Amino acid sequence: MRPRSFNRRAVLRSLAGGSLLMPGLVSQLLAEDSPADPLAPRVTELPAPAKRVIFIFSNGGVSHMDTFDPKPKLFAADGKTMGIGGGLSNQQRVLLRPGWQFKPGGKCGTPVSDLFPHLRGCMDDICVIRSMKSDDNEHYNATLGLHCGSFFFSRPSIGSWISYGLGTSNRNLPSFVVLAAASPYAGTQIFNNDFLPAYHQGVRVMPGHEPITDLDPRSTLEGLQKMEMDFSGALNARHLKARGGDTDLAARIRSFETAFHMQSEAREVFELEKETDETLELYGMKRGQTEGFGWQCLVARRLAERGVRFIELVDGSSSHNWDQHGDMAEHAKHAEYIDQPVAGLLKDLKRRGMLDDTLVVWTTEFGRTPGVDGTKGRGHHSACFSSWMAGGGVKGGITYGETDEIGAAVVENRVHVHDFHATILHLLGIDHERLTYRHGGRDYRLTDVSGNVVGDILS
Amino acid sequence: MIQYLLRLLQPALAGVLLGGCLFPGAAAADGDAVFHRAINLNGPALSIGGHDWEGSASAPNFEAKGRTFENQDVPLVPQTSPARSRMIRSSVWGPEVDLTLKQVPAGRYQVFVYIWEDNRSESFHLLVNDRLVQPMVQSGNAGAWKKLGPWHCESQNGQIKISARSDENGAANLSGLEVWLGDGPVPPEPAPAFADNPTPEQLAFFESKIRPLLAENCYGCHSTQSGKTKNGLSLDSRQGIRLGGDRGPALVSGAPDESLLISAVRHSSQELTMPPRKKLAPEEIALLEEWVKMGAPDPRIREALSPAAAAATARQGVDWEKARTWWSFQPLTQPPPPAVRDTAWPENGIDHFILSRLESEGLAPAADAVPEVLIRRLTYDLTGLPPSPAEVDVFTESAVTKGLTAAIREAADRVLASPAYGEAWGRHWLDVVRYADTAGDNSDFPIPQMRLYRDWVIAAFNRDLPYDEFVREQLAGDLLPQRTNDQLTATGYLANARRFGSRVDDYPIHLTIEDTIDNFGRAFLGLTINCARCHDHKFDPITTADYYALYGIFSSTRYPWPGIELDQRQRDLVPLVPQDQMAAALTASHKRAEEMHRLEKEEKRLAETVKDAADGPDKDASQQKLEAARKAIKELAAQPTVPRAYAVSEGPNPADAPIQLRGDPTKPGPMVRRRFLTILGGAELPPDAAGSGRAKLAEWVLAPSNPLPAKVMANRIWQGHFGKGLVATPNDFGKQGRAPTHPALLDWLASRFAGQGWSVKEMHRLIVTSRTWRQSSLPRGPEAHEKDPGQALLSSFPRQRLSAEAIRDTLLALGGSLDRSPGGQHPFPPQEEWNYTQHHPFKAVYPTDKRSVYLMTQRMQRHPFLAIFDGADPSTSTARRATSTTPLQALFLLNDPLVHEQAAKFTDRLLTSVPEEPGRIRAAWRELFARPPDTGELESARAFLNSLRAKLATTGGKPPGTVEAEAWQSLVRALLRLNEFVYLD
Repeated sequence: MRPRSFNRRAVLRSLAGGSLLMPGLVSQLLAEDSPADPLAPRVTELPAPAKRVIFIFSNGGVSHMDTFDPKPKLFAADGKTMGIGGGLSNQQRVLLRPGWQFKPGGKCGTPVSDLFPHLRGCMDDICVIRSMKSDDNEHYNATLGLHCGSFFFSRPSIGSWISYGLGTSNRNLPSFVVLAAASPYAGTQIFNNDFLPAYHQGVRVMPGHEPITDLDPRSTLEGLQKMEMDFSGALNARHLKARGGDTDLAARIRSFETAFHMQSEAREVFELEKETDETLELYGMKRGQTEGFGWQCLVARRLAERGVRFIELVDGSSSHNWDQHGDMAEHAKHAEYIDQPVAGLLKDLKRRGMLDDTLVVWTTEFGRTPGVDGTKGRGHHSACFSSWMAGGGVKGGITYGETDEIGAAVVENRVHVHDFHATILHLLGIDHERLTYRHGGRDYRLTDVSGNVVGDILS
Repeated sequence: MIQYLLRLLQPALAGVLLGGCLFPGAAAADGDAVFHRAINLNGPALSIGGHDWEGSASAPNFEAKGRTFENQDVPLVPQTSPARSRMIRSSVWGPEVDLTLKQVPAGRYQVFVYIWEDNRSESFHLLVNDRLVQPMVQSGNAGAWKKLGPWHCESQNGQIKISARSDENGAANLSGLEVWLGDGPVPPEPAPAFADNPTPEQLAFFESKIRPLLAENCYGCHSTQSGKTKNGLSLDSRQGIRLGGDRGPALVSGAPDESLLISAVRHSSQELTMPPRKKLAPEEIALLEEWVKMGAPDPRIREALSPAAAAATARQGVDWEKARTWWSFQPLTQPPPPAVRDTAWPENGIDHFILSRLESEGLAPAADAVPEVLIRRLTYDLTGLPPSPAEVDVFTESAVTKGLTAAIREAADRVLASPAYGEAWGRHWLDVVRYADTAGDNSDFPIPQMRLYRDWVIAAFNRDLPYDEFVREQLAGDLLPQRTNDQLTATGYLANARRFGSRVDDYPIHLTIEDTIDNFGRAFLGLTINCARCHDHKFDPITTADYYALYGIFSSTRYPWPGIELDQRQRDLVPLVPQDQMAAALTASHKRAEEMHRLEKEEKRLAETVKDAADGPDKDASQQKLEAARKAIKELAAQPTVPRAYAVSEGPNPADAPIQLRGDPTKPGPMVRRRFLTILGGAELPPDAAGSGRAKLAEWVLAPSNPLPAKVMANRIWQGHFGKGLVATPNDFGKQGRAPTHPALLDWLASRFAGQGWSVKEMHRLIVTSRTWRQSSLPRGPEAHEKDPGQALLSSFPRQRLSAEAIRDTLLALGGSLDRSPGGQHPFPPQEEWNYTQHHPFKAVYPTDKRSVYLMTQRMQRHPFLAIFDGADPSTSTARRATSTTPLQALFLLNDPLVHEQAAKFTDRLLTSVPEEPGRIRAAWRELFARPPDTGELESARAFLNSLRAKLATTGGKPPGTVEAEAWQSLVRALLRLNEFVYLD
């Protein structure tokens, strides 16, 4: 079922062997090209400039004309000229002036509005796509489509597809981690493995005391759990031996081994004490902070360092987000919430040399209307919106695609959600048409029957 | 150069046009109405369907009163030609619109009016010459348009006046006006002909200008030869370009303004701009326009067919004779059990088939498993729960005194009579039918009544309802003579189909019906019928016409409304009353719903009035009215109602359905008579049949000539025991599925099943008393590993991991916490409080100590525990549970509070009920693994307890009893993590 283009590589020795708990038999059984190891890292057929993805999703529909897509004609709005507006963008309404001025950023001069002063400084590393296009004007469907390539039916998330396609290099952590304080539109479906095997499900991390469910040992007595593990390990080994080395049984023994180490290794990811004051400042954080977008971004870097393949950061929730029908001024507080943390993440990755092989993606489910909704707001607008990518094989310092003079429609170089997905997979060395899974009598893929790689933004 | 060429071509072009052969059907028959004039309101002059339309601003003898509006960006539903779209999307609107045609010659006329809606639905009345011709016109959802009429009238004083009027707050939005002279039939719009006999000049034009242009700019994504035909469109052949793709024909001969291809290259609407990343040069677009005007001469007739054209050809060419030879369509036979060499081994027919195959491969079956293993296997297999130590004792005793077969038979009878059986096997069926307690729309509305269907399924297994009845009642229980409330409830199967989106007027019912047909095909027939929704099935003999033949049955069925974001109240549920009281109950329930609707509207209106009003007596009066309305709503809500089932009923207007071209409901094709699949006989609904046809559908499915239901269900039962079916893809018996490992055995089982009263319990008895089922999970020797690595030949019993439900239920049972009472209702909030949206969807996990089959199941998100342990997918049919092994499962068993709590409770039980340590250890082993520990295990457990006591003592300050309990809890937790605990040998 796995496409032939993916070559298997032996399981990392450091994980399979050399442990007290792991009986020799288990290491032997699981060492080579074993079907019991669906997460073994795979070498791709195409070159893969990006090794991992940090995918930042801003809920609710971020206005493109107020952030990354300057429209002088809108600034000239006279309170009479009409354009597409209203709640679900089917009506003609008077054009609404953007609330923030644009200024050039970086050496490249890519203009960014005053909503994102910190990100503006990172523009030399960023490729802004101004010609994004989705298919649905409802949050739920657009969010589902942006994650799963399907606007009505639940399908595996992009993170699950990438985990399935590439495996992961650190088996003490999940391959796909979602940092979300609250539930986004369409709920857990957007990071669900759906019909892909459960190894590829997004593991939800919530800011707070126990970021991963059941991560912390219940007993406070140090060493007690290790004693229990040793005892069950010995009985399991005996059981396995009597059953001729069934690989399913062996794989389950190893899963306990992995879980045991996850307790400390994953816990360690969330222990930010060793980060310097300067680093915390970069993310706009205070020492001891265990929530907020700075926390999410810094934890994302730490997960990326430890080899997690796909890390999604959810900004906002289905009920508190960028959906400003009533008053666009509220965009300011949402922008402030993520601006410095995301810029900090980019800078931090860059100075650590990680930006070269880490693809950072920022997107939202759709844009907003040039015409007014209510008195000071903007409606939903899937006909065009802006996203950006940085690092991992993407050309920095450029913009791609154009919308018309009021930001109502794409006029050049349209990038549909399927094209967006195809490009992300391409940067990871995956041909989106060959990453398939047979389910219910049919081969499925993330990009359904569409998708073109946007070649012009590749470095 | 281009100008030159065009000049050269002019005479030929003129000849084509003057000859009138572009519109061969344009001549009116005698007595037909004659086109008089048509006016595009608030838009330019253009040509639609071969008729010239005038632009309203410059139209003589015409006056329009109203406000003007235009928005060319709204996608129209249904889609139509570019010219007509352009006409529709410009309009004259307002609460009062008057259109007056002047200097109209005396005579009889017919008037058509085009209306459309750009955002929210409005209602208005239409009048012709001040006569009300259509009251309460609803404009529909955003993008909807309609051509209304014709209305017959006379020219009065040389005028025809069309008016729209609306009550408060309404508005009419009129796009166009079409007037015909005479009362005769209005001839259909002629289909313009293509230039099928092109002149040499036309061919030269195509070869030098058009072919290179298409090849360079379009073939990359739209050619059969490049292998890419996006949206079903291929432009590299004459057939392909004329047939078009998903959006319909690419060309209208002679009419560039109406041709999708031209509209796409002009980028005139943002809906479709081609090529996607680059606009053609104006002179290139002009060339294409000229070509279309000529009638699109195209010599590429012998070149590749478009996929749609290929499919059309293939459709006529389905080789039904050959298709019928596929293994799963073969009639049921009763193959005799084959002879075997080891005649002592078989216990029943099953064993002959299995052993004969093993012998032919040079393999011997495994030894019988020991009784302790068998009783654990049997009890989990049939009830999803572990055997009690006493049950193990009885069984091992009987195995000695009465023999293994008799002991198994006795134990099987006992567990099959237990309610736990239906709870376990009902769950298997609920997997297949993707059961959920919520609707799956964007807000995932709860369905409190859904559990009645769940309970019906569990009870049906427990009372061994014959499988044919089981099928019939789920498809058409409401239509059975003297039907019971139970049988009504059974159609909850159909009602449980998934809901989508959050809108009401343009609710995507075609998706709900697709979900119905998809599940119907997989569950009862093992066929993937829904693959034929957009095109004929690529692998199996199922045509698109077959799909829409079934579609008509379900579109004639009334599905209950669960409530979705924009209409949050349940309706069309079925009252659970005897048949003769049904009409009265329906009327009462309808009245109540209407009254509630009226009150809620009133409440909303008053609330707004109060909000907006300035303080004063008016406001106070409104406030009082508001409170009265709220009180009335509460009272009405509190009135007792007849219990209702979330089940289906017959729709108000049963009718055949048209094929939806490429699965697009806005593109109706030919009608299809409601009937069964062609490959399974294709029986049609009789011409005089009333109703949806569901009763007939059940008959067709269960006809003795249809072998699939028996084969599919026999295979599911087999899978329930062995973990894997004889057909490894239980929902797909088609070409994409897997062939049976033992085809004759499957046939033998299926014909026994159907021939002996469709008793599922009898099938269990047959299987568990076979020697095959009784085998140990340890293969006889190394050659079994080599020759039967996946155990497909059943050279030993396949080891299985417990299901998510069995793991949770066992943990609760060990702790003494499992509540064995039936599920009952879920604690959903009362309906009056429902206000779910996609921003605040319904989302809940209700804690319960009942069996896992009774957990509230959401369509949109999995229960957190079930998600970790491969529970069923609540959004689509689960034919077979996966068994993944992940660190998250291990973390659950290491640290989850449930595991720690139940371990503590189990410890309490052991410490209070068994006096000494070796006895406690033996009891623990017997409860967890259905066997006593061997000496080595007993000793290592004692040693482990001792080291735990020592460890715990170092922490100090604990009462002595605590240390003992904590040491035991540690031991129990360690045992709960063992492979032996979650695997069945």
